[in-house]
Amino acid sequence: MAQYIHFKDPNSEEMIRLLERIPRSPGTCFFMDINRSTDMKYQGGLKDWGRKLNNTFNNLLFANHFQHNVVKGIGDEVMLFIPDEELRKKKSNNTYFALLEDIYASLFLIGHHPDPDLFLNCKVAIHYCTEVYHITFFEGANDYYGSDIDLTARLMTKCIENRIVLSEGFYIKAKNDLISLGLPLETGCMERVSDRFIENFKGVPESTSFRVIDIL
Amino acid sequence: MELKEQKTENCMIISIHGRLDTTNYSILEKKLMELIEQHEDKILIDCADMDYVSSSGLRILLMALKRITLAKGKFALCSLQENIREIFEISGFTNIFDIHLNREDALKVF
Repeated sequence: MAQYIHFKDPNSEEMIRLLERIPRSPGTCFFMDINRSTDMKYQGGLKDWGRKLNNTFNNLLFANHFQHNVVKGIGDEVMLFIPDEELRKKKSNNTYFALLEDIYASLFLIGHHPDPDLFLNCKVAIHYCTEVYHITFFEGANDYYGSDIDLTARLMTKCIENRIVLSEGFYIKAKNDLISLGLPLETGCMERVSDRFIENFKGVPESTSFRVIDIL
Repeated sequence: MELKEQKTENCMIISIHGRLDTTNYSILEKKLMELIEQHEDKILIDCADMDYVSSSGLRILLMALKRITLAKGKFALCSLQENIREIFEISGFTNIFDIHLNREDALKVF
């Protein structure tokens, strides 16, 4: 559970001491957004868009056992965070490459399903985070904060329908998994990874490198 | 994960044993694509001993279905365990795949 931060005194020294002791919680952050769901809410009723959101979130999350890693949902966008220590304990999807491959497969299944009325296409941003803390400012809530979480959100701005945007840091993690497993670097969806892009994001002091995978 | 093949008079049966996930789906992919290239387009996948399937595994099954349907062949599945059936349901696969309760029933459609 996230460490609850709550001090009435804005100058609390105890708060400072607590914050200094909080360890980092490295892991993988995902932002997933469902396309066209806002338009749909103006065009149809809850039974239409609610059904498609249910189907799409199920397909994205539950089929891949990520449901316990949802940190929050904002509208039709969800944030997932998988701490490294939890990833290593999983029976499957326990490497960064496996996470990427299964997210790619989920988007592929949605995009290629013969019935276009069941699911909605998605876009996903993925970043490997080191500057992240498992804390919350709201009692009982689970959350993660840190500059790397903010960067994942920034990467979403480079996403379009049926695209995965992955930070260079996450790409290197996935590539290293393939090397460790003795697999070719073009295995699975890694074959479709683009060249590196470099961008300056608002509020981020250094340039950010990222790559994309378009779901074909 | 282990694959077992059995050629019958009317089709090729592929039995999947264990977990079909990102670490091994390429083995199934290679096998199915080889069969399709050899015009072996009547294939039954026996899932009785398949404990788990990830999205990567489902993707290979969907690709095989599309290729075999295009070749006017027949692709069916049988003996899905309850947890596997649930994943198929979530993925909207139960309506697009020809799924049978057991191997005996499945063989009747080939």
